[in-house]
Amino acid sequence: MEKFKVTFYPDNLTIETEKDKTILSAAITAGVYINSACGGDGVCGRCKVVVKSGKVITQPNGALTLEEKRRHVYLSCLTTIHGDTEIEVPSESRLEFVNLTPQELELRLKGLYTDAEEIEHVAPGLTEKIFIHSPLATKHLLNLPKPSINDNTSDLERLYREVRKIQNIPVMQTGLANIRQLSELLRDSDWIVTVTLGKRNDTVEIVLVESGDTTKTNLGLCFDIGTTTISGQLVDLNTKKVLGTKATYNKQASFGSDVITRIIYAREEDGLLKLHNSVTDTMNQMIKELIQEHNIDLNDVTCILCAGNTTMTHLLLNVDPTYIRREPYIPTANFIPTIRAAEASISINPRGLLSCVPGVSSYVGGDTTAGVLSSGLYKENDLSLLIDIGTNGEIALGNKEFIIAAAASAGPAFEGSGVSCGMRASRGAIQKVNIDPKSFEIKYLTIAETKPRGICGSGYIDIIASMLKTGIIDKNGKIKIDDHRRVRKSESGKEFVIAFKEESDSTTDIVISEADIENLKRTKAAIYSASALLVRHMSLDFSSVKKIFIAGGFGTSLEIDSAIAIGLLPDLERSRFIFIGNSSLAGAREILLSYEATKLADKLARKITYLELSVDPAYMDEYMAALFFPHTDLKKFPSLRL
Amino acid sequence: MAQDLMLEKWSGKISTVTIGATIADGGTRKHSIKIGGEKSLPNLFKEGAIPNKTQIAFEIWDAPPTDWPDELNKIYGSYYKDPITWAKTCVEKYKATCLCVRLQAAHPDFGNKTAQQEAQFIKELLKAVAVPLVIIGCGDDSKDSLILPACSEAAKGEICLIGSAVQNNYKTLAAALSADGHNIIAESPIDINIAKQLNILISDMGLPLEKIVINPTIGALGYGLEYAYSIMERARLAALSGDKTVASPFICFVGQESWQVKEAKANAEEFPAWGKETERGIIWEILTATALIQAGADLLVMRHPLAIEKINKYIEELYQC
Repeated sequence: MEKFKVTFYPDNLTIETEKDKTILSAAITAGVYINSACGGDGVCGRCKVVVKSGKVITQPNGALTLEEKRRHVYLSCLTTIHGDTEIEVPSESRLEFVNLTPQELELRLKGLYTDAEEIEHVAPGLTEKIFIHSPLATKHLLNLPKPSINDNTSDLERLYREVRKIQNIPVMQTGLANIRQLSELLRDSDWIVTVTLGKRNDTVEIVLVESGDTTKTNLGLCFDIGTTTISGQLVDLNTKKVLGTKATYNKQASFGSDVITRIIYAREEDGLLKLHNSVTDTMNQMIKELIQEHNIDLNDVTCILCAGNTTMTHLLLNVDPTYIRREPYIPTANFIPTIRAAEASISINPRGLLSCVPGVSSYVGGDTTAGVLSSGLYKENDLSLLIDIGTNGEIALGNKEFIIAAAASAGPAFEGSGVSCGMRASRGAIQKVNIDPKSFEIKYLTIAETKPRGICGSGYIDIIASMLKTGIIDKNGKIKIDDHRRVRKSESGKEFVIAFKEESDSTTDIVISEADIENLKRTKAAIYSASALLVRHMSLDFSSVKKIFIAGGFGTSLEIDSAIAIGLLPDLERSRFIFIGNSSLAGAREILLSYEATKLADKLARKITYLELSVDPAYMDEYMAALFFPHTDLKKFPSLRL
Repeated sequence: MAQDLMLEKWSGKISTVTIGATIADGGTRKHSIKIGGEKSLPNLFKEGAIPNKTQIAFEIWDAPPTDWPDELNKIYGSYYKDPITWAKTCVEKYKATCLCVRLQAAHPDFGNKTAQQEAQFIKELLKAVAVPLVIIGCGDDSKDSLILPACSEAAKGEICLIGSAVQNNYKTLAAALSADGHNIIAESPIDINIAKQLNILISDMGLPLEKIVINPTIGALGYGLEYAYSIMERARLAALSGDKTVASPFICFVGQESWQVKEAKANAEEFPAWGKETERGIIWEILTATALIQAGADLLVMRHPLAIEKINKYIEELYQC
């Protein structure tokens, strides 16, 4: 097999690759992450690279302009390497795995967790300390009586006997590795040891036996594994204090931006393993940084709790997700037994435990269960709605009597994928705009107030709302005006310039096109119609919903008026909306810290009724009616004075 | 024993659209026609007012039609090259009270007439006949955007019904018709949501809802007629329940749909069991029209004079109930 050298710039990374390998695949091997929303199908046009020298063969496609072809721009997923090659990866085509800055993090975690350090005083009305403190793993100091001729019970039974003096645990387990080292360890430590007890479903396991007193340092982790973003927290299990929080992008994004493309990719050769490795690599890197920053020994991290949608949980555990996608949509497991973290390649204490928040169905996963738990929706007297605005928009409706949930395949448009200048909510993303109603000139606000690099979800919502208000677009999302320096005609309809390249940190003008608006319209319609259908399914009306919890990384900087103006959220009194930020991470943390919350999560996952929207004949009708700004039925939006 | 009818009380009402301006209204038409105004589901005369009868417009083209079957060619064929005479014949011989002219000659494949030529033609037509006019474009979006505003201006003051506006091409037409005081046809593809959305978009352009006539798009008998029927019924139920955005009268292109189906065109040699083709097409047009009257059609655009005569008689009888 012929081999070639490929060098990626500006990273200046060179690897050897086989003939016929795609540039995208070589880049992943080299550790250069290229955007690939469609997962290598050659349709999204995000993986553009410049071939500086060498020989490549590409397939025809419509994503490149003539001018780009002249500049030797290629789609890395459709282009194979046939000689030593030098490749420049422009910044637009890069997936950024840099951790979010503290400011970005604050934005994402606003609501429940304004600041990691402020965990003791969370936002009022939410996540009060309602669960009994009893973490997944607890440490106990034991002073064992030395054996004698009269007290000649075995070392292990001696250990059990002492544990039972503290807690009434009829059934206990211990791994062989612990038993093998037990006799020496007990004697070396003069019979003073610390045992770590882990709850493994309904039994208790002696996870660790350590010499002396280590009870002061017992740490755990909780993670929200999102399709787009992964967030994690390091928690002191003794004090419940959150020591640090991190969020980063899910590396799986290079295999497709939604769960369906990833499930399809999992069927490819080594596909499942690559997806599994991407998520565990991301998490292990975050864990490494968290423990280093807090000067902690990895061995003191004894457990980890993960909340994710059903597909993300399958991929984390390296379990085949194929049948999630095929009718009648059956996941391998909704309730995952607690396992050893090492079995899922997560590096904490080698004998540490990993637990997943139980899911409801194929498309309503543990992240929703966690969200229902942390928002407190399950104990509301009044009817409440939880809307998680993410790539899979999950919606739960209910109160203390009942909960029904559905998933809207909203798509990643609000997370910046599938739209021409979209980006995730990070530095340089336009998140708010002000359009002058006469001159159509624009003032914008970016995250971290740097030069604009693109537009994030909340930015798109605000832009569309402003364009509607100023009459730049009609209610169908088509650009009405023609003669203006910001309006241009392109192959796929008109586009409107939000920021010219001279004022931006991008090589092209930052625009919103009619095609983008169409895409965002479908996304908002999916979320609104799923919410409307859930409410209608219970023979209720939005007006009877007293509280609406808005969750998701993107919901943190959302202008509620704009979200209503475009018809993403129902037109209710603004005081009924409550931002709760990342409700999935919050729920995972509660479950990590309390066995009571664990039991509740199990109960909730069984209690939540799943509504499959695609089999409801009314869904298509609701969806079609929502494909308008704000809605075909204007009476549903009385406050907008249309 | 006396029986009380269970009557539905509706809060909404279909808007009334007037087509044609008489001299008193500032135009040159001998009469005008009114459509819509219902306060009840179709033909439930006891339930609420149904002030206007269903109207029929004769369909004529300004270019020779290439796909009309022999039964129609026999009647109109000699006028194909002279649309003005065709129009006069409909009015004088067949007593048409309304004409629907399709400006097919503007189509790139049918002569590619300019906006100016079509505007001139409309002026001549208005002089030649004194009945209210419905004016339809050639079906080519970019061409219609040019010819229809020109014809709208040429017919200013005559209060025509002009179309069709579709969701992705309504702005130019709505703006022109609004300036010249005409009514507009809003066409949606058998979809109640798009019908509503288009009405909202058009009224946002400044043309009031009361000037809109909905073309819900229909299929002929055996070709999706029941689908069109249910969409029209749903729109009517919403309108009568108070939704103004869909409370417009319906125009249905019966002739166009009926005469293109195999059952109307095929000759008896091909399908002996089907009977004479000389009757079949006419029957097909009649049956499609009657079903649509039951669905709530307010204005029917039809082709065959005999079918139109029968339907006119049917409407008269219906309103005597």
